[in-house]
Amino acid sequence: MLNALFKRFTGQTSTKDAAKKRLKFTLVCDQLEVNDSTLKNLQGDIIQVISRYFEIDREALQLEVQRDKEVSALVFNTPILCVKKEIATAVPGNKGGKKSYKKKKK
Amino acid sequence: MEGRIIVVTSGKGGVGKTTATASIGAALALEGKRVAVIDMDIGLRNLDVVLGLENRIVFNIVDVVNGKCKLRQAAIRDRRIENLFLIPASQSDNKDILTPAGVERVGRLLKKEFDYVLMDSPAGIERGFENSIASADEAVVICTPDVSSVRDADRVIGLLYARSITPKLVVNRIVPEMVAKGDMLSHEDVIDVLSVPLVGLVPMDQQVVISSNVGLPLVMQNDSTAGQAFRRIARRLNGESDLPIQVPSHKKGMWGMLTRKFGKK
Repeated sequence: MLNALFKRFTGQTSTKDAAKKRLKFTLVCDQLEVNDSTLKNLQGDIIQVISRYFEIDREALQLEVQRDKEVSALVFNTPILCVKKEIATAVPGNKGGKKSYKKKKK
Repeated sequence: MEGRIIVVTSGKGGVGKTTATASIGAALALEGKRVAVIDMDIGLRNLDVVLGLENRIVFNIVDVVNGKCKLRQAAIRDRRIENLFLIPASQSDNKDILTPAGVERVGRLLKKEFDYVLMDSPAGIERGFENSIASADEAVVICTPDVSSVRDADRVIGLLYARSITPKLVVNRIVPEMVAKGDMLSHEDVIDVLSVPLVGLVPMDQQVVISSNVGLPLVMQNDSTAGQAFRRIARRLNGESDLPIQVPSHKKGMWGMLTRKFGKK
């Protein structure tokens, strides 16, 4: 107890605080890890939905998880070849260009 | 009334699953319950030596699941503690010999025979773990206050939640002197990180090694602090949920007794 107080006053952080900090960070990262098969399934599903509205270049698309300290983002990039007119008009708010879905870190 | 199947697991190896299973099982039997402890670590059995029953093995859990023998033939009765039975693991097979479906079927039989069935899970989260939790109603997760153990416990807790089991946590091998110095995660730190209900705190105790040397159940030794902690865990699992959890303390004498009294949580 006294030792802990002494360490606090002298500015030394106790090793268990370091352990706890590292643990919390690691557990968050662990939870955000996506395996390749999940990513592949997701890509298939996204293609299915988008293909209902757009002609897309299936070879050129990219799906990846971008991480930095604050947020993790799921980024899906695809060139659009053509809009399927008759369906696209039925669902407003769908415009061409890049699509990106952001997911905030918990 | 049907018995309860409790899996004892941890993710990481070497944190005290087998000692915990043997101790909690023996303690429940001392409370007057009919208890089976089952070694699910196929190929690396150890619950038999910890309990000192290694010379009496005839059949094992693989034989039971595969229908080579009856449940009662494989259950070794402990001669020192009434109502304690061990079903050992097979030493010559590997984990893939059992399937979760097979274990679940035997689990239903076990519940009819015993008040408590404790499954000693192997380390890891693969087939052996899957088999161990297949028939479990409840789970006790063992972890020690170090980063690797807590991290693995978190993984296992996630897998248990996915099966709608809310595990109860045991923090094992606490060294009070190191916790006081700030050099070891306290049980509060561990709970803060894992956020699961706590069922007990077990201090580091040399008696664990000594009693495993001779194959004597830890809870039979009155001078073992870990043994006492496991007995309290067993009582808490057995319905005495308001029994206070004692925080291991290194202080001896008057002052120690006082702080222990008020340090209870």
